[in-house]
This record gives sequence, structure tokens and C-alpha cells, in this order.
Amino acid sequence: MNIAHRDSIMFRANASVKAMGQLSHIKLKPDFTVCRKLAGFHRLTVRWKSNTRPAPILMAAPVRALIDEQISIRGHFLPLHCPVTVHARMHSDEGDLWESFAHYYANESGALSLTRDPSVGGSYLGCEPMGLFWSMQPAPGEREGLRLRKKNVETPYVVHISLLEGHVSPSEGQSTELAAVTAERWYIAPGVKRIEINQNRLVGTLFIPPGPGPFPALLDLWGMGGGLQEYRSSLLASRGYAAFHLLQDHPQVVSDRVGIIGLSFGCYLMLRIATKTGVKPSCLIGINGPAGSTVPLSDSDGRTEQFESFQKYWNFDDEGRVIFKEVSLPANILPENFVKLEKLDCPLMYIVGEDDLSASSIENADLIEESLRSASKGHLFTRLSYPGAGHLIEPPYSPNARASMWSIKPKKLITMWGGHPGPHAAAQEDAWKKMLDYLEKNLRS
Amino acid sequence: MDEKQCCVILSVQPSRGLVDEKFVVLVQSSLPSSLLTIYAHHQCEDGHSWHAFAHYTSDATGAVNVSEDCSVGGTYSGVEAMGLLWSLKPVPGSKPGLRMRKKSVQAPMMVTITVYRGHLTEGFEDQVPLASVEVERWYMAPGVRRILVTEDGLTATLFLPSGPGPFPGLLDLWGGGGQLVEYRAALLASHGIATMALDYLTCKYTMETGKIVQQDYFETAYKFLQKHPKVLSSRIAMLGLSLGTSVTLKMAAYSQVMKLRCAVCISGSHVQPVDGFLKEMLDYFCKNSGNIRITKGNEVVLRDLLLPIPTELSLKVDVGKLQCPLMLIIGEDDQNWSAYESAMDMKGMMAQAGNSHLLTLLSYPNAGHLIEPPYTPHVRASLFRSLQSRQKMMALWGGQTLEHSRAQEDAWRKLLVFLRKNLYGDVKTGASSLSNL
Repeated sequence: MNIAHRDSIMFRANASVKAMGQLSHIKLKPDFTVCRKLAGFHRLTVRWKSNTRPAPILMAAPVRALIDEQISIRGHFLPLHCPVTVHARMHSDEGDLWESFAHYYANESGALSLTRDPSVGGSYLGCEPMGLFWSMQPAPGEREGLRLRKKNVETPYVVHISLLEGHVSPSEGQSTELAAVTAERWYIAPGVKRIEINQNRLVGTLFIPPGPGPFPALLDLWGMGGGLQEYRSSLLASRGYAAFHLLQDHPQVVSDRVGIIGLSFGCYLMLRIATKTGVKPSCLIGINGPAGSTVPLSDSDGRTEQFESFQKYWNFDDEGRVIFKEVSLPANILPENFVKLEKLDCPLMYIVGEDDLSASSIENADLIEESLRSASKGHLFTRLSYPGAGHLIEPPYSPNARASMWSIKPKKLITMWGGHPGPHAAAQEDAWKKMLDYLEKNLRS
Repeated sequence: MDEKQCCVILSVQPSRGLVDEKFVVLVQSSLPSSLLTIYAHHQCEDGHSWHAFAHYTSDATGAVNVSEDCSVGGTYSGVEAMGLLWSLKPVPGSKPGLRMRKKSVQAPMMVTITVYRGHLTEGFEDQVPLASVEVERWYMAPGVRRILVTEDGLTATLFLPSGPGPFPGLLDLWGGGGQLVEYRAALLASHGIATMALDYLTCKYTMETGKIVQQDYFETAYKFLQKHPKVLSSRIAMLGLSLGTSVTLKMAAYSQVMKLRCAVCISGSHVQPVDGFLKEMLDYFCKNSGNIRITKGNEVVLRDLLLPIPTELSLKVDVGKLQCPLMLIIGEDDQNWSAYESAMDMKGMMAQAGNSHLLTLLSYPNAGHLIEPPYTPHVRASLFRSLQSRQKMMALWGGQTLEHSRAQEDAWRKLLVFLRKNLYGDVKTGASSLSNL
């Protein structure tokens, strides 16, 4: 029996879904023109810091949030219509400083609200409630080619948000801090248990939601970056799914409710697993990944040989940055190295970033869809496609790395992932919401 | 095992909140129109367990939304978004006279919320739950700094909000139980006010000398705040509950040193010997100890100690002299202090003196003495160690849980608005700061 579900509002408070078509425009609030007229005021000297007035207040709510929750940032008791800069900064787990800033005007009551007011300059423009987070970049002087990825999911990102006087670029010279608030952003909800798995050559981390279980589960597969990336799993567990990097059989998992999610090369591995006989996942989510591989797998467990040896499909841009896109172009893959998609028996959601420079996502999506249709399984396929989004479609409000360091030896190499800040941020927010809805539909009913 | 039940979803948003923030408790994917019990459990720092529960029926989609749906039984009924917190009671079999008070404000209060099948009233530990989540409730926002203060003979803790300041300041006083109670100060700092919780009955000075502090102890605390680089010296307020009210009113009306921007007095009285201070106050209460009543349940009722309200002006603070805004918060069922009668008398005095415009009176029917931050579980009586008699007694505080809880929520909201208006707003109300240009 199917139970009709209401929209899963439990996962998200104020998810704003942006229409893809508007991405190229700046959305301004109607009173922006009023602010422009009053902009003359900011040329007069306004004495902010005084001994007779308290500092303005800056507030954030919630002040301890999960990564995919919106934080509402507001200011009060500012001089009316005055220009201010909101500046956010935090350290990655590796100690790098990331920051963002935006220019606003206080309104006629001396108030500021990032959910209502437009940014007129800085790291993003327009009304972007979560812009401070997804537009973060490494601060000037930090190492090049950085990508923001949380290693330790049991601690939060601690974000310092300041209100600065005037429209300034925080990293350029002096600025006066008027007020500040600290917010924590967590990948893990209270009560989620983290269990390290190291058995039978399998290395992974299991995240189990609080409660008696058993739970539907997700196998979470990443791409060629290597290492063990836990943060999406802990966040998914925080949303009620036990996520793990290895197969089921765990006593707290409902064995016939296991899905798989794969990004990039992980998507290919996912499809391989899903088309193996005897393996029947409940559903699959593939993000920007190929359905075949130029890189032959050395064994059935999916280990690979040196990726670097297949450099004939590498392209380089004017700055010497490598673009891997053509490595996964279907035309460059031998037919026998494709997954047998006709064997797929479960729903598959495939997410495409149309500006993906690392994988030929559009072409692979087309191929998967065509193969499934030929096998009369087109009904299993759902595609989400985002113009302007790149390869690394991550949980919402995460900064996008358009490029980052790929390798240091034998020589320094930066790779292009693609994606432009605004559209990529919108894609992450929309895709995450749809992924959670899809998982709920396929893993719970 | 019923597979369907294995996927019941329970969520609480936010999962990490400040203690005065509301949350939304949602159950989804249970069987439609099924009987469910939502259960909350908290273990105090002292090891005691508290619980609350409510009975619901899921809707046609198998969902329950505690903020919108009606509880038909349990520790609360009706539509009560926060009922799972404010109706928390000690679990059956607990030692009598417990009261929930957070000692360590740097760690959150952990509450486990669970959903069970059926309408249960007991035996929760033996039931297999359908789902369970953990919720953190914090008194302190990230970035708030906690600073122990021992200078100038003070026993205090200062909580500073994040940011450069300067911040308005506030002296936070509790009542006759003494100790250094930090949680309300931490919460106020999380709202942008540099707040100092002050121990004035069991402070180092008193513990070492056996003597009760004098007026200058509070003036020292005020001066400490005044000269603090992050505090705006012209915007310092004082907040007192119970005996703390007595001190606050005395200082607000008579101190030459303290120029309070505003004062908030909760569950207290202006009745005290005007000549004299704490020691004389406590002696005065002792003198009237014949008015103490004991209920059938062996609870001690102290409210008559200050009744009838004296007519002699030497026995009550002249609130007609006040020059700063005053907010009085009282529970009309206060069994510990004659807060209602005192408030009425103060209102009359201020009307006569012509400074009524300074008074904001919040009077709550069926609320008791312990008007705490919102969602704090109400206790009608609890064990209290009187500092004078050194004996533990079961003090009757009063209040009916539902109305008391509503009063806490309403009073806190209005208190914050009052403080914000007086500490942040301009002196001329509605004055545009374009006048600064």
C-alpha cells in the first residue's frame, strides 16, 4: 500500500527554489531604487562609534544550524539607510581562512535583513539569504587551488559574521567592525552515531541516526579525489538515513531499503554495483558521473589503475589547468567498458551540471536515458539538469570550487570542475531538496 | 515486525536551539489515523530524570505536527508547540521537591524525544519506540564569552556577547537561595546584553567573614560594569527576582552611585526597612516569621511575611522616587512573596508621585513565584534551603502549570522588548537618527 506523503517539510525550513531561467538576472527588491536615491547620505560623515550609543545588533537564527538549514541574518539599531558590509569568515579543518562579504543598506528603521534585502556589491548580488555561505572563497594569501571539504564531521564550522561600517572590501585595509555574531554549521545532528568500519579490505564510515531503527540506508560513493569523505553521509544520516560506505547486512539496516548515491566516478561504481546480479538497490542517485570508464578496473571490487596513464583525453586551458571532461565522453569509451544499463531494475535519478568540465555529464545522461528507453525501462529514469552548475554538486550552501589543486607531484596541476557561483549555488539547493524527496519516496514507502 | 513502522520519521527543528527558541516536532510516515504518544526525556546534571508526554492521533497521511495538532492527553493537552518542555515533570518514583536548574551553561540541556505506538502513560522504558531524536537546548549562543569575576571582592560571572561592543550592561540577581546562578545571564548575553550574574548571599566575602554584604557590594558590581571596556557605561540595567527585587528597588530608588537605565523586578516586593540593607531586610522577615503557614502537604508558605503591606513609609522603598523605567513581573498565585499586593501598592505610590509613566506591570493570574525563562518546567513546590534557618524546607512557590508556562513565555518576550527599548533605543522615542548627520 502506498501512503501519500506530504512534502517533506521536515527537512527544510525555507527552501527557496530558484527558477533556472532567472539565473542570469539580478533580483532586486522594489525599494532598491529608494536606497540609491539616499546613497548620497553615506558621503556625509556619520559618527558611528560613540560613547553614548550601544553598538548595533547583529543576529543570526538559528545560531547552530545543520548545513542544509537556512540561517536568517538580521541587523538592528543601525543608522537609517546607512551603508554596511556584512563579512563572514571561517577556518576550514586544514586551517585555511575562507571568507565572503556583501554590501547592504540599512532600511528606514535602521534594520537589515539578509532574507529580504538585496546585496549591492561584494561576493554576490541581489537578495540571497544564504549568499554569505555559498559565495565564500579562500582569503587572499591562502594557498591556491583550495576546495572546501569538512574532514571532521563531529565538529561544526564556526562562522564569524561581522557588520562593518560602509561599503568596504574587508581584505583591503582598515574597516570598522560595528557588531558581530557567531554561527555554527553542523554536518551532523545530535545523536547521530559515527562508526568506523575497517574490515575485509573495506574502509568506510557508518553513520546511524538516533533512534531504535532499523533504518533505510544509503551507500555513498565519491569520485577520484580519493580519501574518505564523510560529510554528505553524516548530513544524510542527520536527515534520517543510515549512510555507509560499504554494503548492507548491518543489524540496524532494513536490508531491502538500501539506496546508492554516487558522484563522478562514484556514479560509475554505483551503476556497476546496481547492475550486478543479486544486487537490488531501492534507488540510485548519480551526479555528474559516467556510465562507462576509460580506466579499466583492476578487479571486481572497483579498484583502478593509475588514472593518470590515460592522459590522451586530457585537455588544458590557457592557464595550464587540466580539463578531464573528455575522459568520460561516451565516444572515447570502449563499448565493453560500459555498464550494462539494460540490467538496471530500480529507479535512477541522474543530476547534471551543464557546466561540468570534469565529466561529460550531459552526454552520459543522454546515453543512460537512451539505453534505458531501448530496454523499455525509460520510466526508471529521472533527470535534473542545471545550467551554469559544475561538476561538484554538493550539499546546499557549500562554496563551489570552479577549479582546485589536483596533484602536486610530479608537477603541480590544477583541475577545472566548472560551475558559476550563483547558478551552482541554486543548483545545489534545488538538487538537495529533490534528492531528499526522491529518497523519501523510494526508501520509505 | 511491522515493516511500515520501521520507517516512521520523527524530526525536531531546530535540533540545536537556544532555550527560548521554539521548535517544531513532526512525526511522519506512521500509519494514518493511528494513536501515538510523543515522549520527552531529560536527565538533569544531578542525575534525576524528568519526562513529559502527549497523546496524538496521526492524520490521513500518518503525520503529527505538535505545533498544529491537539494533544488529547498526557502532561499537557491542546495545541502546545513547546509542551514537551514546559510540562516536564520528575519521573514517578523521584525524590520529592526537585527543581530543574542548569548549572553548567557551556553545555546544552539534552532532551530525547521519542514516539511510541498507542496512548501510553507509563512503562515507556519497556516499550519499543518507533523513532527517537535528540535535541540540544542551549543557554549560551556561540561566541558569547564567559568570564569569572573575582576583582574588587566580587563573586560574579560576566557574559559578553560576540562582537566589539560596546554593549549595554545588566546586573542579574537571583533570590534567597544564594549561589551563583548563571543561566539567565548567559541567555541575556545571547541577546546582545553584557550581563553579570552576581552572587551576593554566598559570595566569597560572606563565606569568609560570615557577614552579609552591604550596599557598596552592588555599587562595586555596577562600577565594574561601568568601567569595563566593552560595556556602555550609560546603559546599565538591573534585573532581580525574589530577594533580588528587594535589592534592585533599593538601589534604583536610593543609590547615588547607580544610575540605572531601567530595572526589571520579578516576583518581589518593595517592603523592607528603608534604613538598612540586606541584613536588616532579613531580620525584618524573621520578625514576622509568625506569619509563616504550613500547608496540609507540609509545604511552607512565606507570602504572608510581608503582609499586610505596611503604611509606614519607613518600611517600603519609595518607588515614587524612581527616575528610570521599571518593569514589574508578578504571578498572582505567588505563595512565596506577596508580589501581587506589593505591586498594587507600588502602582499606587507611583500614581501619587506622578511617575506612573515609568511603570510597566505584568501580572499573571495563576502564575507562581518562579517566573523563569520560557519553557522551564514549572514546579509548584520544591526543596529550598533558607539561608537564615539553614534548614531545607519544601517551599510552596505556587502557580498552575499551564498558566505559569504561558506567563513565562509572555513575560520573557516582553522583558526582552523592554530591555531592548531602554538599552538600545534612543532616549527620544521615535527620534530619527538622521539627526546625527
